[in-house]
Amino acid sequence: MNKSASFKSMTKGFGLDQAMAEAERCLLCYDAPCSKGCPAATDPGTFIRKLRLKNITGAIRTIKENNILGGACGVLCPTSRLCEKECCASGIDRPIEIGKIQRALVEHSWARNFQVFETPELRKGKVAVVGSGPAGLSCAAELAREGCRVTILEARPEAGGVIRYGVPSYRFDLDFLARELADLKTLGVEIQCNVSIEGQGGAEKLLQSGYDAVFLATGLWDTLRLKPDSGELKGLISSIEFLASLRDQRFQQVSESLAGKSVAVVGGGSVAMDCAEAAAKLGARDVNLVYRRSFSLMPAEKEERIEVLDAGVHFHLLNQPVDFVSNAEGQIQGLKLVRTRLGEPDASGRRSPEAIPDSSWVLDADLVIEAIGNQARSESPHWYPNVQVDSLKLIQSDPSTGQTSVAGIFAGGDIVRGPALVVEAVQDGKVAARGIVEYLAGKDV
Amino acid sequence: MTRKKIDLSVDFCGVKFNNPFLLSSSPVSNSAEMVANAFEAGWSGVAFKTLNSDRVRIVHPSPRMNPYHYGSKRLVGLQNVEQISDRPLKDNLLDFLYLKKNYPDRVIISSIMGFSNEEWAYLAKASEDNGADMLELNFSCPHMTVEGSGHKVGQANHLIEKFTETVKRAVSIPVLAKMTPNITDMTEPALYAKQGGADGIAAINTVRGISQIGLDDWTARPKVAGIGAISGTSGPAVKPIGLRFIADLAKCEQLGLPLSGQGGIETWIDALEYLLLGSTTLQVTTGIIHYGYRIVEDLIEGLSDYMAERNIERVADLVGKALPTLQETDKFDLDRQGTAHYDVERCVGCGQCLVVCNDSAGQALEWDAEKRRPRLIEDKCLSCMVCSFVCPVTDLITYKEQPKNWQRQETEVMGKDLEGQLKLEVCK
Ligand SMILES: Cc1cc2nc3c(=O)[nH]c(=O)nc-3n(C[C@H](O)[C@H](O)[C@H](O)COP(=O)(O)OP(=O)(O)OC[C@H]3O[C@@H](n4cnc5c(N)ncnc54)[C@H](O)[C@@H]3O)c2cc1C
Ligand SMILES: Cc1cc2nc3c(=O)[nH]c(=O)nc-3n(C[C@H](O)[C@H](O)[C@H](O)COP(=O)(O)O)c2cc1C
Ligand code: SF4
Ligand code: SF4
Repeated sequence: MNKSASFKSMTKGFGLDQAMAEAERCLLCYDAPCSKGCPAATDPGTFIRKLRLKNITGAIRTIKENNILGGACGVLCPTSRLCEKECCASGIDRPIEIGKIQRALVEHSWARNFQVFETPELRKGKVAVVGSGPAGLSCAAELAREGCRVTILEARPEAGGVIRYGVPSYRFDLDFLARELADLKTLGVEIQCNVSIEGQGGAEKLLQSGYDAVFLATGLWDTLRLKPDSGELKGLISSIEFLASLRDQRFQQVSESLAGKSVAVVGGGSVAMDCAEAAAKLGARDVNLVYRRSFSLMPAEKEERIEVLDAGVHFHLLNQPVDFVSNAEGQIQGLKLVRTRLGEPDASGRRSPEAIPDSSWVLDADLVIEAIGNQARSESPHWYPNVQVDSLKLIQSDPSTGQTSVAGIFAGGDIVRGPALVVEAVQDGKVAARGIVEYLAGKDV
Repeated sequence: MTRKKIDLSVDFCGVKFNNPFLLSSSPVSNSAEMVANAFEAGWSGVAFKTLNSDRVRIVHPSPRMNPYHYGSKRLVGLQNVEQISDRPLKDNLLDFLYLKKNYPDRVIISSIMGFSNEEWAYLAKASEDNGADMLELNFSCPHMTVEGSGHKVGQANHLIEKFTETVKRAVSIPVLAKMTPNITDMTEPALYAKQGGADGIAAINTVRGISQIGLDDWTARPKVAGIGAISGTSGPAVKPIGLRFIADLAKCEQLGLPLSGQGGIETWIDALEYLLLGSTTLQVTTGIIHYGYRIVEDLIEGLSDYMAERNIERVADLVGKALPTLQETDKFDLDRQGTAHYDVERCVGCGQCLVVCNDSAGQALEWDAEKRRPRLIEDKCLSCMVCSFVCPVTDLITYKEQPKNWQRQETEVMGKDLEGQLKLEVCK
């Protein structure tokens, strides 16, 4: 496989035989801790038992009926701190590889063309879902199964949200996403792409244009800036822009421009890991990851950190970027850093970095990717002026129903939680769908 | 432990074997080329693939075997419809001569099957004349395509006696009768074989069974051009049946013949169990079909170390040692009762014990949902021990005998308030 092909598709998962062998290590626990550990109640305790008893179709049904993105979660979930965390098999040797079993079962359903869902009769209410990320998709699927007519409105050219335009394709590829989305088609969900719900009150107006309820799942699509006032610099790019460019028509151009370059990535979270690994995989000469605390205090998952190190990325820990270095033409040439040491724990419980006086130095870089965090689009509150948001512009909603401060408007996913997980977005979608169904019943729609 | 060289040799019907481990008659013993490799690996002898006299042409059905898998565990059992040797008799006999010449210290048992009285004599004589040290009369193949042969003979006592007698008259080497398990009581045909002059008994041949049905074609496997058949099952799945028949034969005082045990032997532990129930030699097919001849290294080493650790000098000192305590169930002392005992320190919290105790036993467990630990209510425990079978931690749950006056709780009755509706007469 050439480089671009291996960049564009995921590595193979377990086959059914391997999944069965792994399932045989499962202790088939009473009141299974793994099932309690799944934020979206995908219920591994049950689907593994079904696999063990050769009820393979039943196992697939359990996954998919509980989690419309069961395949994506099997691939993308940080399982070691979710379902696998309390796995009783750890007491014997190591946890069951639940994510891999889950992915194998979902892929098997495609291989043998097993349809979990039938097309429901859609007669309840009309619901608009804004955003086709995991939260929106999950809510739409659940609503359709309940008999609601659902339209997803998506600003970008294709559906999927972060798992389409954020996560690099070698971790989650187009083919897999397309297969997983096929279930939504079966369920009769309509997806309208290139439709952006913006402008003053744009989202709230949907309630006046024929929709009985609205689910907001717009995610976090602004990048936090290191120096918001630094203006336009050539060679300075946000993580969102960088990752999205790898998943649209700009791929060729971006990957060619990385060759032989020195790249600096700022940040220690999962997004920074994705940016750094992708840059390294695409042939950047050096990729330097800069983080202000220590290795073990990085927010990224341990597996991710190791993988990125393995991909050849250089970690510059205990270094705080303070400025960009550029030439007269506004082209980035480096990153000015100061060394830090760890002081007292901060609000997050992690020891906070303190700058060491007179320790600044310059790290050469042709390209700097900022990946210190994603946040709500700055103008997003205008789309729904009556919906209560907090200081970070995250929507306030009732965790048990998804209901916002405006009747008929519900919300979930990252735009409510802040940066979270696919599986949590899935759960929010399910919860809001139930909230919406109840709301529609109350309105007698 | 410094390794003492253990002498595993056995005397079986007056023939010396370097160790008790033989290839049984089957594809694993089909030709001298193969058997030579087995001898190199350490097998002490072979029951060669059953000879045929060339009068009836033998064609093996195709395909001729099918696996019995359990989960992802492969070959727990094996199904086959293979016939006796399809090679010309002359080729097989030349192979005997080759083996005898090159491996003089190994034993060749010629397995034979005749389709008439004369043929039995003919095959026996030809075998003896070309180097066979012993004979094994195949009265037990359960899926011969030639009518009235194989285990049909093994189910007809007078034929067993007659053919054995014929063979004994034709040769002077020891003769084994290989029995079918597809009957209720094996001692009966074995006694007929003895009557005919047999020097020992080999058992068991394969058990009639069905390993799998195709779900798309509703046809049993192996499927031979659209047809399935009930046929011979072997391997670990049949070991309990093999052990049972060996024990029956060994306990039959009237019989008193040496035994060659087989059926599901793969490890030295399986082998030892067959010895302890009265076998002197041990034969293997499916274990070799699964793992190859190399398993003999582990059979030899495992048995040797077991004997060394217990200062057992000779294999003969193990033969039949489990027989005295093997009794009918009416000999049990029912006054002695016990319960399970939990070493909860080692528990990993899976709760499988709870599930099975609730659903198949005495509802004798309480569950601490917070700590995920079971607690045994001793006087509800039935001592069925099913919890210990599913517990993933070996020997966490063990059997504990209770004192003499210990009492078990009666099983809960749900319909106590329905006494008025009870219809029950006193049993006269
Ligand atoms: C780079 C990266 C890697 C990640 N890796 C993982 C991982 O491995 N595992 C994991 O569990 N989580 C991961 N996450 C987090 C996870 O992807 C998110 O928690 C999840 O996607 C949130 O789903 P969502 O539906 O709330 O929002 P999103 O996925 O962000 O989807 C929002 C959608 O709404 C659309 N939209 C926005 N505004 C409008 C508008 N005005 N009108 C119409 N449409 C609009 C957007 O185009 C987008 O398609 C990662 C996140 C990032 C950024
Ligand atoms: C494919 C196959 C062919 C066999 N052919 C013969 C045979 O020709 N003669 C015979 O006496 N037993 C034959 N057997 C039976 C074996 O010798 C042996 O008695 C039986 O398989 C049980 O032992 P095991 O569990 O070790 O395989 C055959 C078994 C198999 C699996
Ligand atoms: S916790 Fe682990 S061992 Fe128990 S049921 Fe779940 S996967 Fe199996
Ligand atoms: S089966 Fe064994 S490990 Fe599992 S809960 Fe019971 S005692 Fe503990």
